[in-house]
Amino acid sequence: MRYSKVHIMQKERDPLNLGSLPLVAPPSDSWPMIRSALVKHQRRRRVIRYSGSLLAAAAMLTLTVGLFIHQPTLAPAPVAAPQTLDSLIVLSQQLETRVRSYRSEVGGMPTNSLVYQVELEDLIAQVDDELSMRPDSLELWSQRVNLLLDLSQLYQNQLRRDYQRMASL
Amino acid sequence: MANSPFEIELDDLTLARARRGDLDACERIFRKFNQPAYSVAYRVCQCRELAQEITQEAFITVFRKLGQFRGDAPFWGWLRRVVVNHAISSLRRAPKADPIELQDFHGKAESASDQVGLAMDLESALAVLGAQDRTIVWLHDVEGYNHREIADLFGKTESFSKTRLSRARSQLRDLLKSRESRGLSRNAAAS
Repeated sequence: MRYSKVHIMQKERDPLNLGSLPLVAPPSDSWPMIRSALVKHQRRRRVIRYSGSLLAAAAMLTLTVGLFIHQPTLAPAPVAAPQTLDSLIVLSQQLETRVRSYRSEVGGMPTNSLVYQVELEDLIAQVDDELSMRPDSLELWSQRVNLLLDLSQLYQNQLRRDYQRMASL
Repeated sequence: MANSPFEIELDDLTLARARRGDLDACERIFRKFNQPAYSVAYRVCQCRELAQEITQEAFITVFRKLGQFRGDAPFWGWLRRVVVNHAISSLRRAPKADPIELQDFHGKAESASDQVGLAMDLESALAVLGAQDRTIVWLHDVEGYNHREIADLFGKTESFSKTRLSRARSQLRDLLKSRESRGLSRNAAAS
């Protein structure tokens, strides 16, 4: 009884029995190509993370001064040492605001910058994922700030290029 | 109801290892799902090379974004969505090819292209459909997508999906019928 019910439902869903067609075998093995793309991606991620960590202190200092001088409205005069959790969270928020405003201003990006932008956004999403499990991790917040800093720099460069192009017209 | 060919169990350990970037675990996942992924890509684009390209891109995307997979739905469903999305965007990128109309097909078959007539089975009937119709009928009938999901994929309404499904099925039926009648007349002539 149950079988016939299932059979009728199946007949309704797939009246021509397309599901009976066999799976198609790929002409060649794609794994080596996928593997090499993943290895490259992992290497790039490692480079971004490690170089970010090494430059964290310097970047943080530059950023604090930069935000204070360049955009006083965005940077409410960070006074605490940048390596505390609270200051990292504040910096992260400020950078996010800055990135958002750049994003609305910037025009089309060249492909290589676009790829880099997607990479950075991917990494930020991954850090956010990990942060949802360890919200007090100083290391994760510091990574987030560094990635946002890279992203902000990418947009700044693009805006500079846009500006130069406009000026040359 | 028959299951989608994608519905393959994946153990948590392999998934967790792949999430951490373990390439052996990624390869295990690839080997498990490669054929269903390739098959659905092939059904959409009907081109072996393009289907392979789509499958590669989809697997790379999935492995790179595995950290974002929350695990609240089965892994195969997520992978299938990525493959189908890649396949549909490849359709959008591809130069528009007009689907072969039914009368064209009959014409070809009657005009000495006996081979086409003889090989006319479900597989080749499917290949005659336009890419969108073929994708819709495949996703609905084989992969179990509903009209809402199909409409979302194509950025259209549910009515669009229903109309195209019904058109695709009736085209397929006509093609199969014409093959059947040709087969019968050949048999009669032979006897």
